[in-house]
Amino acid sequence: MVLPPNVSEADFNAALGEFRSAVGANWVFSSDEDVALYRDSYSINWGEPDERVASAAVASAKVEEVQQIVRVANRYRIPLYPISTGRNLTYGGSAPNMRGSVVVDLKRMNRILDVDEKRAFALVEPGVSYFDLYNHIRERNLKLMLDVPDPGWGSPMGNSLDHGAGYTMAAFRDHFSSHCGMEVVTPDGEVIRTGMGAVPNSDSWQDFYYGAGPSVDGLFAQSNFGIVTKMGFWLMPMPEAILSGTVTVPRHQDLDPLVYEVSYLEDLGLTGMPQYGSPVGRSAFGPGAAAMASLMQNGWPSAAAVENFVAAQKLPAWSVQLYFYGPEETVRGTWQAAKRRIGKAIAGATFQDGEFLTLPIPKEKEPTQSDKPRLGIPALEVFNMVARNAGNTTNPPDGHADLFVTIPRKAAALWESAHVLFEAYKELGLPAQQNPFPTPFTYYSRCFWTGTTVPTWRDPEKNARSRALFEKVMNRCAEHGWVGYRTSPAFQDLLISKYSFNNNSLLRFQEKLKDSIDPNGIISPGRYGIWPASMRKNRA
Amino acid sequence: MRPTLLLLLSVGLGSSVLAQTPSETNGKVVFDKWCAPCHGAVAPKNVMFGNGALAGTSALAVKYKGKLPAVLEQRTDLTSAQIKSVVRHGLYGMPITRKTEVSDAELDDVVAYLMRNRKK
Repeated sequence: MVLPPNVSEADFNAALGEFRSAVGANWVFSSDEDVALYRDSYSINWGEPDERVASAAVASAKVEEVQQIVRVANRYRIPLYPISTGRNLTYGGSAPNMRGSVVVDLKRMNRILDVDEKRAFALVEPGVSYFDLYNHIRERNLKLMLDVPDPGWGSPMGNSLDHGAGYTMAAFRDHFSSHCGMEVVTPDGEVIRTGMGAVPNSDSWQDFYYGAGPSVDGLFAQSNFGIVTKMGFWLMPMPEAILSGTVTVPRHQDLDPLVYEVSYLEDLGLTGMPQYGSPVGRSAFGPGAAAMASLMQNGWPSAAAVENFVAAQKLPAWSVQLYFYGPEETVRGTWQAAKRRIGKAIAGATFQDGEFLTLPIPKEKEPTQSDKPRLGIPALEVFNMVARNAGNTTNPPDGHADLFVTIPRKAAALWESAHVLFEAYKELGLPAQQNPFPTPFTYYSRCFWTGTTVPTWRDPEKNARSRALFEKVMNRCAEHGWVGYRTSPAFQDLLISKYSFNNNSLLRFQEKLKDSIDPNGIISPGRYGIWPASMRKNRA
Repeated sequence: MRPTLLLLLSVGLGSSVLAQTPSETNGKVVFDKWCAPCHGAVAPKNVMFGNGALAGTSALAVKYKGKLPAVLEQRTDLTSAQIKSVVRHGLYGMPITRKTEVSDAELDDVVAYLMRNRKK
């Protein structure tokens, strides 16, 4: 049995009794067997003293119960950790940020409160998953499209509150910025509604984000200033058609103008998320493996050596797949415009027409449809990447920890970051996977993300090695100003320490808010580096 | 009165007697929602990662090499303890499933569904 820090067993048991009164005895989980279900399956500290395990869990079904839970927690100084669907694997799963916290499991709050087809929004509770919302829309034949993350087993609310992202148009795939209106239980047990939700009788809660005065919605993402119990989201009207097309360019240096041309299309709202690739780089996992090993055998190669390598391989250096959403006339016209612009800017560019789909996709065709997230269909097929597969038949990891750092949206930054990652791996004596053909993640349209994924295990020795690698890469990248946007609880203090401008003035400001809004420090202590005053150790 | 009485009885039964009698039919519903996205039989024609199968089915195909069916619904050897252990503890990349997601009663239904063809 784990107790919350600085809470006696008697007080803890009294609090559990009051939680049971609030939500019903069946919905307070305190046996070792039940509490173990709130472990982070992908924990990088599995089975170690600092694994972030819960002391108990309490599952509320309505906002009034959340208010009662918060008031009980204040009385007994019980740290709470809210989860929505608890599927934020890689970033903590359903486990708390701090060992000994009581998880507030909001999965039972699973009502889809409103979906407005003509105004294109949804209002949902925390326990609604992307699958739930997708099925709701499909069953009613609503002409709306979701933007889903991959995997799609989480919730719109949880994903947006941890700054998750999807795959379609820029306006929708930044899930937090496409929300409109939230309801929050604050640490004192009050309920607030943001934007137009604060206006009695308003019917525009999901239409207008700001209302008037300071917008506080951002305070409730990646933070610990309240428990969000409702959120609205703008949805994409279902386009009549989706067309994809693939561009290739021959030379390594062509990535620079390619990024500019693709960004031009994106920033005008003409294409969805671009999927960059490298045919030469991909070949290194197959027939080109020996040639790539030769290129990299003496360290990071010169630009001339890289260009010669590309020419010898007789494969394009780069590719990008574009996705166009809209009426058939516009998607075909935009693809034509993309061909014209890129063909003029980059000698030797080639263009291949991709799949043309009309929407909605017939229900019977959905299971066999590829690239589901691009079409707004939640799926779990991405797990092929980390599960036991043909490339890893005997030793699949138990999970993974992802380190994605933000870099400028330009080729030079992408190449430089790959080189830095390469050197970091070598410093640890590990086989460096990086080469001069990195491809960026483009979830956020205005920047690139790059980085690495390390395996996690139910084995402390292996996890120690993964942690060392993760921290090495994070530190090396930060020296160049490349810092992550999201990380698992094990690394959140380290991550936030990188946002250190003016003696950590941003964090110190957040701490002042914390002390004012949550003086007892009951909501998610330590979430993204924000600790209550009583737990603020080792900081000036 | 009779319909009302029947409704009340059925509501009461739902939480007591029926909960103790696992339902293969409901097990199929629960399986389709919670398990099929990885362990289903129907796969997309291609995916970015992997060989075109769903992740769980693909992983079991690699593991068993044809000695056992990769599709869980085609297995005849699964036991209740096996199923419950994997659902509640996870296995490799498959995470733990909580009781607020799949209740103990629903898990019993899934067990009944997956064991319906078990060899006696």
